[in-house]
Amino acid sequence: MLRFALNRALSAGLMLLVVGTVVFSILFLVPGDPAELLLSSDGITASPDAIASLREEMGLNKPLLAQYGEFLVNALRFDFGVSLIDKASVGDTIATRLPRTIELILAGLVLAALTGIPAGTYAGLRPGRRFDRIASAVNAVLISLPGFVIGTLFIYIFAQFLRWLPAGGYTSFFTDPWLHIKQLTLPAITVGLHLFSIIFRMTRASVLEMRGNDWVRTAVAKGLSRKLVVRRHVLRNALGPVITVVGLQMGILLGSTVLIEFIYNWPGLSGYLVTAVQQRDYPSVRGVILVVSALFILINLMVELLYSMLDPRIRLE
Amino acid sequence: MKSKRFSIPGRMVLPTVLLTLFVGTMFIAPLIFTFDATKIAVSERLAGPSWAHPLGQDGFGRDRLARVLYGGQVSLTVAFVASLIALAIGTFVGLIGAYFRGPFEFIAMRVSDVVLYFPPILLALLVVTIFGPGVTTLVAVLALLFFPSFSRIAYSETMRVSVLDFVEASRALGTAPSRIVARTVLPNIMGPILVQFSLTAAACITVESGLSFLGLGVVPPAPSWGQMIRSARTYMEQDPFGIFVPCAALFLAIYAINLFVDRLRDVLDPKGQLEGKDAVSATKDGAGTPELGEGNVAELRALTLTLDRGADLPPVDLVKDVSMALRANQNTALVGESGSGKSLTALALMGLLPSGIQPTSGQIAVGRKAGTPVDLASLAPHAAEQVRGNDIAMIFQEPMTSLNPVLRIGFQMTEALQAHSDIDRAEAREKSIAALQSVGIPEAASRFDAYPHELSGGMRQRVMIAMALLAEPKVLIADEPTTALDVTIQAEIMDLLRDLRSSHGSGLSMLFISHNLGIVADIADWVVVMYSGEVVEEGPTDQILRDPHHPYTRALLESMPSAHEDLHSAKGDRLDTIKGTPPLPHLRPSGCSSRDRCPMAQPVCATIHPDLYRATSGTRAARCLFAPEAPEHLIQKEAV
Repeated sequence: MLRFALNRALSAGLMLLVVGTVVFSILFLVPGDPAELLLSSDGITASPDAIASLREEMGLNKPLLAQYGEFLVNALRFDFGVSLIDKASVGDTIATRLPRTIELILAGLVLAALTGIPAGTYAGLRPGRRFDRIASAVNAVLISLPGFVIGTLFIYIFAQFLRWLPAGGYTSFFTDPWLHIKQLTLPAITVGLHLFSIIFRMTRASVLEMRGNDWVRTAVAKGLSRKLVVRRHVLRNALGPVITVVGLQMGILLGSTVLIEFIYNWPGLSGYLVTAVQQRDYPSVRGVILVVSALFILINLMVELLYSMLDPRIRLE
Repeated sequence: MKSKRFSIPGRMVLPTVLLTLFVGTMFIAPLIFTFDATKIAVSERLAGPSWAHPLGQDGFGRDRLARVLYGGQVSLTVAFVASLIALAIGTFVGLIGAYFRGPFEFIAMRVSDVVLYFPPILLALLVVTIFGPGVTTLVAVLALLFFPSFSRIAYSETMRVSVLDFVEASRALGTAPSRIVARTVLPNIMGPILVQFSLTAAACITVESGLSFLGLGVVPPAPSWGQMIRSARTYMEQDPFGIFVPCAALFLAIYAINLFVDRLRDVLDPKGQLEGKDAVSATKDGAGTPELGEGNVAELRALTLTLDRGADLPPVDLVKDVSMALRANQNTALVGESGSGKSLTALALMGLLPSGIQPTSGQIAVGRKAGTPVDLASLAPHAAEQVRGNDIAMIFQEPMTSLNPVLRIGFQMTEALQAHSDIDRAEAREKSIAALQSVGIPEAASRFDAYPHELSGGMRQRVMIAMALLAEPKVLIADEPTTALDVTIQAEIMDLLRDLRSSHGSGLSMLFISHNLGIVADIADWVVVMYSGEVVEEGPTDQILRDPHHPYTRALLESMPSAHEDLHSAKGDRLDTIKGTPPLPHLRPSGCSSRDRCPMAQPVCATIHPDLYRATSGTRAARCLFAPEAPEHLIQKEAV
């Protein structure tokens, strides 16, 4: 088990290095001068003075290899340089905003898992019956609605038309816990709905596959109650694939959260990222992407370890 | 458009029409009517629907219908072109990697992997930061994001296809690799790639509209759905309609594509389809309180099992009129080819019939250690749970899959015990370890904590036997328990099963199911031979083996490579086989079911369906007009 964990951790570390290298080098892969590229838009070239000062600021005058080494070492110390716009430390801004993004994703994940796993199990155990048909049809609609569409419609329906919940914004939990939860509700449900559709679909398919296995028949033949058969011999086995897919979907989720945070004015990483992209604030964009990609890789590392605890055969490979 | 192909499968019609209609509207309507998507009329801003502007006007007074249509053109074109580029690059990379292997494989697959390390929208944003927003950047970004899924699929599909016989054959014939790939491999992997293309198109629309919504995709004044939602958000309260129109367009586009993909998958891989139906209650004649004959522990009386084939096809009897008695402390063997209905008969006893198969007449009775006999097939679930594993237990053919791979063996044993008695964990553990020892498992205490995959097939089957006997049932059904094992292990398991009766304190009756008549000789007191859902012969083992009365039983014996040479040593050393295959249940011939494969068949066999004729002197019976048990007048009457 320990060897398996170390092995996976090592490969996650390698992936992080690759991600760091790609994020670093992408600016240099493009033909032309990086500073000039960042400052130009719609074919209008920036003044030579501006280019020179940006080169100086970003350390582009140093040899490439030195820049690369410095970038990696700094990234390990959570130092991603300063914003080109307001000179604020990118690392500090990320440290303030990252927990809010994580809170939103976790809230959505909990909502989605608490509804998606039971619904998917129920549908998977009775395929083709009424509940399955209705739930699968609803799910097909959910899957076809991008997060920002759901978010926009939610704001209209729940915030403007029904006036049940605030349209967005953020208040610290310690300032006003009740308002914090009210502001979290709509964004969390929006994040959760997308994840729900994935969890529901995967749980249904996995339960459907597992329930036909020989060991399920053995369990029934032993005289176990239906509840125990489902919990121990179907669901327990079905969860492994579900967790794996959810882990892989986290990448897409982290991406679509960008849009959802933007819609609800949730001051996580995304608002920062979108502004930075609009202003072409390269160090900020680079920092956020590096951190989020690292998060994605770490989530998948945890998923692999969790899966190996659920299924002892995995540890052997 | 597809007029040449008459064979669009039924399930594809709706999504194809929907998609064609949708795309057609986007691209053809602007050709017929004149729309101006960019003409600003500030005085008419946020105007409701009118004849000139059926969907109203937006915040700048621009015609919303025109913007939705042109926006659709932009969104769909971007998605289509980007998906096509991703398909071309990805498929090429995957094909090269899989077909040429070696360093090609490594580079192709690693490059694709790296892209997958990034959350997609973030990678898109990184690229947009460098190049600035615009349609060209957008297409490039989308192609970059989605080519790895194509290369992965092309890779794994090519790996699958390239070991198929016909590809190997053309390689052996010296066909050039490029030609093999283009002519043989590519057509065979097109299905999954087409599915991925549709999925990618839907994903491209989502990402494109998301980026445009952020103002980082399609740049104004060119319209796009994402952008329309973005600008309508500002006036959401005065004009909610402005939001619904682009949202609906976006939803419909993605939904139509998803529907298309789902149906396409069903058509390409019909296995995944499920025709579900709501529960049908059992209709069975002769129901009532099950009864057991004197000295019997389980009994089937004239049992018929019927498969419901849905509304379009008539139901089929898979097992017909089967009667069988399991006597106390006796072993019964149920013998027949695959598909003869022997396993179904056993599953009916356990009440474990697959859905769709129901007992439609006859009676099932299983004796209990205490209390009246029950019929598991019609008992309420909760009541049946108390009987299964407790009074009647079963072991299965596949020891490799009959145990749950993610649970420890000990847990799977103790849960069986705890299902039937209020026993504490320590005591359950003790009992289970003792049971493991009694079936000849060395180091039982440490095996108790092992996972199934840590044991060999033979050991697993021992575990299954130990588990089945934990609650000391009166009846044990063994469904081909040695078929999946090595020959040497088979003998050990057979020895174990044979000795069970003497070692099992309170007495045990076994129903041993096999396709091999030879293997049952040592273990069974009574043999029942089934063919095509019916019992064709039964009797005491030694009588049946020495002197089979039914031609099919005889053929079964003769087809055995023999440990029983003495039985038919006169035949020489040629091994006979039974010609042909048993009839499918719905295609049974008239008269005698086995006449097509019977060397003794006469014209009369086609007209009379023989009963199971019981000998007047003894207990054995055979279902053949020419068996000694059969009344002679039957044949004579027909012959005259």
